[in-house]
Amino acid sequence: MKTKISALMDGELDERSAREAIATAAREREAAEAWSTYHLIGDAMRGTRQLSDDFGARLAERLEAEPTVLAPRRIERQPSPRTWFAMSAAASVAAVAMVGWVAIAPQREPAPELASVAVVPVSAPMPVAANDYLLAHQAFSPRVSLQGMAPYVRTVANEK
Amino acid sequence: MRSELASPVRTLAFLAAVWPTVWAGAAQAQPAEALAWLRKIHDATLTLSYTGTFVYQQGNRNESSRIARFVEAGGDIERLEVLDGVPREIVRTRDVVRCYLPDSRVVKVERRATDRSFPALLPEKIGALARHYDIALGETRRIAGFDCRAVVLMPKDNLRYGYRLYADIKTGMLLKAVTVDAASERVEQFTFTQLSIGNVTREMVRPRHAAGKWRIEDSEASPAILAGWGLSAELPGFHKIIELKRRMGDAKPVGQVVYSDGLAAVSVFIEPLEARREPVNPVIASMGALHVFTREVANHMVTVVGEAPAASVQRIANAVEYRRPQ
Repeated sequence: MKTKISALMDGELDERSAREAIATAAREREAAEAWSTYHLIGDAMRGTRQLSDDFGARLAERLEAEPTVLAPRRIERQPSPRTWFAMSAAASVAAVAMVGWVAIAPQREPAPELASVAVVPVSAPMPVAANDYLLAHQAFSPRVSLQGMAPYVRTVANEK
Repeated sequence: MRSELASPVRTLAFLAAVWPTVWAGAAQAQPAEALAWLRKIHDATLTLSYTGTFVYQQGNRNESSRIARFVEAGGDIERLEVLDGVPREIVRTRDVVRCYLPDSRVVKVERRATDRSFPALLPEKIGALARHYDIALGETRRIAGFDCRAVVLMPKDNLRYGYRLYADIKTGMLLKAVTVDAASERVEQFTFTQLSIGNVTREMVRPRHAAGKWRIEDSEASPAILAGWGLSAELPGFHKIIELKRRMGDAKPVGQVVYSDGLAAVSVFIEPLEARREPVNPVIASMGALHVFTREVANHMVTVVGEAPAASVQRIANAVEYRRPQ
């Protein structure tokens, strides 16, 4: 499964395999962990992940002062190999933290009868939290020009 | 013996290989006519008043909705009500979309900051779709009592979905839209089961809910520049069409960048991780042609929502980067 997740990340899976991998990731904790961890590893390798101990607190402070800030505070990057190791170690700790978070996050279980008749192509259920994103996205989809409001029905239907 | 067994497979493989060529040939044979049909469909969404019921199908989900559109000189109003599952009602006026959620007593408000057709597929841009799709006319078929003509858009690569659109021959009204993947399998489908053109009154597009005391979540979306954020590599054919700041629920400002190839769109949402009062659930999910990927970049939660194959949405998600502005 981890190989599948890795291939999914690299965009190497075809549509059907990608759907299966996504469905598995949404269902299986191990796959979801692999997803998070691989991204963290990738970020650490690319040096795009910038961490410091009190970063969150400082960012929160700054956000209070400047509510519209969307750019993170720059952390000085030190290119020595030792620092890189330290960074990836930090990333690993963060990975564990995020994995815990993924695991704890209340994933909405599909209704049992739906899960048992799962036919291809399987879609991993959208959590209700995705609704805001779906709505915000539809507003800017050019499809509306051909189809009117109909695409707006694509929100999560099982809110209860 | 072995080769005899393999030959049907080879034949299939050969057919699969030449099929796009066949489509391309068909598209070249009548591109002007097919493009004229797309314009006709587009114009119908601007000029027709109608009421109807359509079904949205995706995976195991079958959901009916009622839709009404009222056109007058001062603009148009469209009302959509989902009849199955959680009640939802969406009403669009000239420049505001309101989504009523009676269960949670919330109204989500999305204003169109720019002119009403942006980032719509403008008639002059329809021709540009031929860069990424082979566009051809398909069969005629009767749907919900209307004689329809199929317009088929097949992608020239595997980065986007294909579409089969069925429009009323007389008016251009779209009665059925099917999204298909590279294997020509149906990803999702909208089909009118009943449609009546004309005879719509303003009363029919009024929101069902007064919503006087409901919580209002206004997106307050406005164009903005998200300094430092971008893609390390764009997905071929997908270009940035808008960049804005907005609110999401009652959270602090979120950045949204939309990329589109003219028909399919992918949104990238960027929000500071600490700006939310509660942790955001990481999401890896699909629904019909929509895929959602979440990852963390430079202490921000990046959520990518796209109506494109999972691999495409994934590639955009992977390419999101933050570079400190110089």
